[in-house]
Amino acid sequence: MADLVTLTINGKTVQAPPGTLVIDAAKRAGIEIPAFCYYEGFSLQAACRMCLVEVEKMPKLQASCTLPVAEGMVVKTESDPVVKARKSTLEFLLTNHPLDCPVCDKGGECELQDMVFRYGAAESRFTEIKHHVDEKQWSPIVFYDAPRCILCYRCIRVCSEGMGVGALGIVNRGVYSEIAPSHGDHLECDECGACIDICPVGALTSGTYRYQTRPWEMKHVGTICTFCSNGCKTTLGVRNEKIVRGNNRDKSGINGEFLCIKGRFAFDFQDHPERLTSPLMRIDGKLQEVSWAKALEAVAKKFAEVKARNGKFGIVGSTKTTNEENFFLQKFARQGLGTNNIDHHRSGDVVTLMDALAGRTNALATVEDCYQMKAALVVGADLAQEHPLLAYQLRANFRHHNARVYTVTRGPVREDQYSVSRVRTEPGKELEGVESLRPMLSQEPELLILFGSSIKGEDVRRLVAFADSLNIPVKYICLVDYSNSRGAVDMGLLPDLGPGYQPVDNPGLTLPEMMAATDLDVLWVVGANPLARYSLAAANAFVVVQEMFLTETAQRADVVLPAASAYEKNGTVTNVTGQCQKLTAAAKTMGTKPDLEIMGLLAKEMKLNLGIWTVQSVFEQIRTQVRGYNIPLPVVATGQAAQTSPLNGRIPVISRPDLIQSASNTLFTSGSLGRYSKKLTSVLEYPGELYRP
Amino acid sequence: MASKIQEILGSAAAIAKGMSITFKEMLQPTITEDYPDGPAIFQERFRGAHVLQRDENGLEKCVACFLCAAACPVECIYIEAKENTEQQRISGGERYAEVYNIDYSRCIFCGYCVEACPTDAITHGHGFELASYNTSTLIIRKEQMLAPLEPGKKPSVVLDPAATALAADHH
Amino acid sequence: MLYNEPSPLETRVLTRRFGLPNSAHIDTYLAHGGYRSFEKCLEMTQEQIIEEVKASNLRGRGGAGFPTGLKWSFVPRQSPKPKYIVVNADESEPGTCKDRVLMENDPHLLIEGVLIAAQAVGAKRGYIYIRGEYRYLIDIMDRAIEEAYSRNYLGKNILGRGIEFDLYTHTGAGAYECGEESALLESLEGKRGQPRIRPPFPAVAGLYQCPTVLNNVETFCAVPSIIEMGGKAWAELGVPKAGGTKLTCLTGHINKPGVYELRLGFPVEKMINEVGGGIRGGKKMKAFIPGGSSCPVLTGEEAWPLTMDYDSMAKAGTMLGSGGVIIMDEDTDMVKAALRIMHFYQHESCGWCIPCREGTTWLKKLLTRLDQGLGTSRDIDLVGDLAQNMLGRTFCPLGDAAALPTISIVQKFRHEFEAKIAKVQVAMPASANHPFVVVQ
Repeated sequence: MADLVTLTINGKTVQAPPGTLVIDAAKRAGIEIPAFCYYEGFSLQAACRMCLVEVEKMPKLQASCTLPVAEGMVVKTESDPVVKARKSTLEFLLTNHPLDCPVCDKGGECELQDMVFRYGAAESRFTEIKHHVDEKQWSPIVFYDAPRCILCYRCIRVCSEGMGVGALGIVNRGVYSEIAPSHGDHLECDECGACIDICPVGALTSGTYRYQTRPWEMKHVGTICTFCSNGCKTTLGVRNEKIVRGNNRDKSGINGEFLCIKGRFAFDFQDHPERLTSPLMRIDGKLQEVSWAKALEAVAKKFAEVKARNGKFGIVGSTKTTNEENFFLQKFARQGLGTNNIDHHRSGDVVTLMDALAGRTNALATVEDCYQMKAALVVGADLAQEHPLLAYQLRANFRHHNARVYTVTRGPVREDQYSVSRVRTEPGKELEGVESLRPMLSQEPELLILFGSSIKGEDVRRLVAFADSLNIPVKYICLVDYSNSRGAVDMGLLPDLGPGYQPVDNPGLTLPEMMAATDLDVLWVVGANPLARYSLAAANAFVVVQEMFLTETAQRADVVLPAASAYEKNGTVTNVTGQCQKLTAAAKTMGTKPDLEIMGLLAKEMKLNLGIWTVQSVFEQIRTQVRGYNIPLPVVATGQAAQTSPLNGRIPVISRPDLIQSASNTLFTSGSLGRYSKKLTSVLEYPGELYRP
Repeated sequence: MASKIQEILGSAAAIAKGMSITFKEMLQPTITEDYPDGPAIFQERFRGAHVLQRDENGLEKCVACFLCAAACPVECIYIEAKENTEQQRISGGERYAEVYNIDYSRCIFCGYCVEACPTDAITHGHGFELASYNTSTLIIRKEQMLAPLEPGKKPSVVLDPAATALAADHH
Repeated sequence: MLYNEPSPLETRVLTRRFGLPNSAHIDTYLAHGGYRSFEKCLEMTQEQIIEEVKASNLRGRGGAGFPTGLKWSFVPRQSPKPKYIVVNADESEPGTCKDRVLMENDPHLLIEGVLIAAQAVGAKRGYIYIRGEYRYLIDIMDRAIEEAYSRNYLGKNILGRGIEFDLYTHTGAGAYECGEESALLESLEGKRGQPRIRPPFPAVAGLYQCPTVLNNVETFCAVPSIIEMGGKAWAELGVPKAGGTKLTCLTGHINKPGVYELRLGFPVEKMINEVGGGIRGGKKMKAFIPGGSSCPVLTGEEAWPLTMDYDSMAKAGTMLGSGGVIIMDEDTDMVKAALRIMHFYQHESCGWCIPCREGTTWLKKLLTRLDQGLGTSRDIDLVGDLAQNMLGRTFCPLGDAAALPTISIVQKFRHEFEAKIAKVQVAMPASANHPFVVVQ
């Protein structure tokens, strides 16, 4: 950093690395230069002319968004010509911009409003007729109001550069220019809504939030998206206990402002009409609404009875409930009910990876590594579909750092657009493909390996051995499906491993074994839907289900306890890269209870002593008892991601690769929960055939 | 003695003077109001109970922009917005207030809402008899505040014929 | 085909083969000294060619007047990337029609110029980007290119010297903006014709981000003569800082409109009265635009004493531009002229940057109203102010091109605007849809 360039901005001496743009240098020095089209991280436009500044020895005003700093440069950002230029640019912008701020969704958080308020002229000199175009709907989610558009091209850039989709372009010329979908009148894209969020004005509006409320009327709650395992932070806008929008405009969290359709729009399961709001109990063969007290009493009684006669429990945990709930569930099972028959839907072979790495915790990558590492190898996964944040980070890495990406997949994937090498293989033969890349991979200075669920068991060990033989630093991400799939493993929702991968003495039944056991007395399902894939062999089993909806499993239940969704509870979840983040309750649904509370009340009803069951105390137990989870509290408390390093030794258990099966969700599906989001099910299924393996 | 006479005369003069004002006022127009026996008379700009105005087509002027609620210092205005459709047009703008409540147990009649309104939808009327023994009746709904339509008049809305036909198909 | 009689006052260097029977054919070209300069270049080094062009004081004929030799010398010849030659034949400047005549009458001159440029920078591929409206010129150019291939002046092994050069034509789609060099390159690459951020300039990162020589047709056409007669001799044809001849298009209210090849520094008076045969109907000249509608307008009185060269025009506050001289006589309605010019730029504004996109539209609306006499003197000020707000703030020169003539017309012919307004009495704005109500 020795060779910094020194320049003067508004009389203030500023130092910046060579190549820095004046607008950035000014920002770092605390001087605001307004701009619409300039957006950090995307290509330069210089189209809005708001960022014009005066530079000494230059005849004209210069666009500071394309002007690199130079030694001895003298910049003025508030001189008379600059102020006049800004005012005139805003005046020009407002000539065709409708002044319908009262009905515009962006009103109150509109960059144009702010700029006119701050830099614009109070008086309007425009008395001609404005150019009007009718509003268009491009998809169930995206609406476009052309007159409001200021043509800053942000949407086009975020779509093509950020998302790698390129669904938007521009049509017509001059003042008649409009943003238009590449498919004419409709969008065929990820429906991620990034274009809506990045729009500085109200030209692009979302189907979920449109005309619902105004920005200042909402409570904004930052929490973690409950769908895939990437763990994006989403800021939910809540009004009257109803979630009306999701975004992450403050760019906090590991995802920056990135969100896919799930994080941004699929929160609508929360007030789905089929949401369960009262406990149900099977009375006379039919599920009927009962009080919480009655339902809990019945479950506790049955549990106590089966426990007393040493009956067979089967417990299925969730990949979407919090770490606290998962920890408490396994504690309930092992200490309270005395059984190891506990399992969950396994979607990636984390256990074998941990074992193969044997203590090399620094070989576990973070989401940030996807953006920073110089080379990446994607094995057996369609990242853009299943792990959109990781895909976004890799894409940004390529765009900004020219990262070299290799793919070994069954079919075409979006990473092919920029990957240096693409290998197509049959599932199960991925390692041959990886081997064929050896000459290229061994030239890389470092490597990030992301592998999907088709690499499991011995294949994971072989992959690690292969990477070791390259003699370069390698980091790994074992891809799993859901928001807390990783946490479920870490918390020991496994018949043979307790929390922190500690082997247990008497391994219990696995999920298929439970379902096949004809003598199962109790099946307790917390936030999962095993009957969607398996059938229950024990006809007389007493089935207790904690669920949000009447899923296949809940329909078979004897008692259904309505659970709160992830957006309605506090706790922590661990994402695919082992980063632990905090959930914050955003809304409430009358009649439901968080799973932790349900389990706690059950324990109380059964008079079991499982400790205090508040989120804080259970999290404290996790921090002290689960290996690798001794994470700094302030990091979690302030909504940051804390990296867990779960293991530093071997895991002496026999891996069961046969039980590992990813649900291969697309951008528009997410297990049982995805079915209950109207937005998720309303959009055109795309990228459809193009990117599906 | 003289002082006595003077006193009597003085008193008589004072009474006469006072009575002259009384008699003069008797001939002036009455300024005392008869309320509640007669109607209450207001200054034109009296800030009474709110009235939600309609435009020249009979549509509601309110577009549910929430600016009144934002301006309200006691937060007594509650709005829920909804989008106008081709079949059902309530207001002149893209959206309308599906719910518009003012809590008169909190309203201080400051007039900020009227000042904030960009469409001149909310105004102060002259209604002031709002007292109630039950505070729950003090929450006034949109329907109670809306300016009445002229008798026999319906909001004149230009409907898209295609959309109307489509709506008819759906019903 | 020639559109006008040549004038004896012309200095016919580029146009010397015009009027010969079958002048576009390669045989005619070869018979009259064609491709001789190229062959001469084969014996020269790259530096020698560029030095020769530098010595000629040749300045770009597209309008900006950037020294051509200097431009060529910016091309990094050591760069491993392929280098390209691109001919800007997107001649769309109102009042300009010189490239069309050159390509129509002497296409091989252009090809030879391109070949020499290719030699100078080591390019192996060239494109001629022809304006969409010049559809028929593509056939002429294609035929000429075919002839050049058949005579081995183009191809993989030119004249058996192991030199490789391929030349292609490419048609625009009718956007004025694509005459701007970076927008032309975008269009040539198959993208939307919008200008690029510069730097980097095309000489360093042009077509497909490779070093590119991009010049006007006339510039390339001048190159063979420079090589033939030597840079110095060519320079002496013109004035000290700008060498050679310039094809000047006389348009407007003049008796003999047409394209004339005149030495740089030719007096305006002589040009109009002797070459052009005087103002139509013996009227007075009210306004004079020296180089296409993008240049500030001069009044007749201002224009008469000038000479046609870069410095003289710059001193008078305008530009030589592309050499498209527009002459307006005393009957011209200058408000209408301003409106017509603005209409063109409003229609051609690409929409990329705000001041140009919105400014031209607003100005057009405003001028339309003023033309109808509906306005106040405040509106006249507003026209000037808006044009001033566009000037120098836009992304590419199109905004300046729209602003400059407007500013000068409002400044110099303000009385005409006022006269129009005075004819119609107006009331102040009644409603947004009808900003002004005519009283009488």
